Amino acid sequence: MISVGHYLAVSAVLFTLGVLGIFINRKNIIVILMAIELILLGVNINLVAFSAALNDLVGQVFSMFVLTVAAGEAAIGLAILVIYFRGRGTIAVDDANRMKG
Amino acid sequence: MVDLTQYLPILIFLVIAVGLSSAFVFLPMGVARLTGAHKPEPAKLTEYECGFPAFEDARSQFDVRFYLVAILFIIFDLEAAFLFPWAVSLEEIGWAGWATMMIFLAELTLGLVYAWKKGALDWE
Amino acid sequence: MIQLIAFYLFATIVIASAAMVIFARNPVHSVMWLILAFFNAAGLMLLAGAEFIAMLLVIVYVGAVAVLFLFVVMMLDIDFAELRAGFVRYLPLGALVAIILAAELVFAVGAWSAGGVDLAARAAPVVTDKSNIQQIGELLYTKYIFLFEAAGIVLLVAMIGAIVLTHRQRGGVRTQNISAQNRRRPEDATRLVDPGVGQGMEL
Repeated sequence: MISVGHYLAVSAVLFTLGVLGIFINRKNIIVILMAIELILLGVNINLVAFSAALNDLVGQVFSMFVLTVAAGEAAIGLAILVIYFRGRGTIAVDDANRMKG
Repeated sequence: MVDLTQYLPILIFLVIAVGLSSAFVFLPMGVARLTGAHKPEPAKLTEYECGFPAFEDARSQFDVRFYLVAILFIIFDLEAAFLFPWAVSLEEIGWAGWATMMIFLAELTLGLVYAWKKGALDWE
Repeated sequence: MIQLIAFYLFATIVIASAAMVIFARNPVHSVMWLILAFFNAAGLMLLAGAEFIAMLLVIVYVGAVAVLFLFVVMMLDIDFAELRAGFVRYLPLGALVAIILAAELVFAVGAWSAGGVDLAARAAPVVTDKSNIQQIGELLYTKYIFLFEAAGIVLLVAMIGAIVLTHRQRGGVRTQNISAQNRRRPEDATRLVDPGVGQGMEL
């Protein structure tokens, strides 16, 4: 039978892959944003797994909030990316050293 | 634990869909490989666009307006997603729950009005 | 038994496609792998009994967020080969951090399953005679009202922020002004004149 440990393993692997993705794709901010989505997906799986294991619904409610925040974060992050690209013609994060308009 | 037997039709549907679509893709490939003569050579394998090499990438750039429409779609998609549990549990949550959702809808309507006034919905 | 098979299937595909998301050369392929990962994560949620979250993942993530990523990847005309330049250089550091993180997670799970960590009392026990979505609604719109409104504010800020950042007025575009068209009366636009014979028209 599937135990909470199985789910924790999956979510831990997803979380780690997301962090690794941030490091190895340091220049490509689109893939960084996708890696953040993976991290949040791992968090969601963790919340739902504990919700099922403890027979407690709060985990699922908070998973909904995480989903909401993730959607907002993706929207704003990609908007910043779009205007950054419009101004610079590249999306390499290394060049983002001027905090001026 | 949820009763997963209800999802059996979806599973069957998925299996049939995957089977049919892969049959449509791979069956002609296999039949062509078995019946036709298969003699690849460099001149045959080059890309063909009315006789000359392709000028540019097949990917064309999208307009930024698609992005704004997609953003608004996400926001209202989530709004609709929050409406489902509210509608189902309206009997139990009472007037407080009803008012909560109305405030939530008002917040997002504010955003919609802003988008409208700003002209983000116009396609020009 | 079939649940165990389904779990291993979903878990394998979700991990494999997550790995492909971060290792794919082309960001369009990354988005496609991300969609596959979300689909299979929805399957995992379904197996855990969180039906509504699973549907939300399919509707919101696969249906909207992944499409948004795809739009942005298609919108920006970028030389992606150049962006992968630092890939090998950062791999050792990234792998080191990832290994440390994984070890910590394993350690935390081990500590948790060894017992001794007092979990708080259940806030909202699951009852079996109601559907998952109804129980979520009853919890979300009674106990977590303020968090829900805060989520609404987050969505509002995201919407306004995206519009402020990316919307720009296009000059030189003549749009149809329907209210001005409807306001216009015949008297504003036409004039009746009665010229005498042989006088001609004066405009």
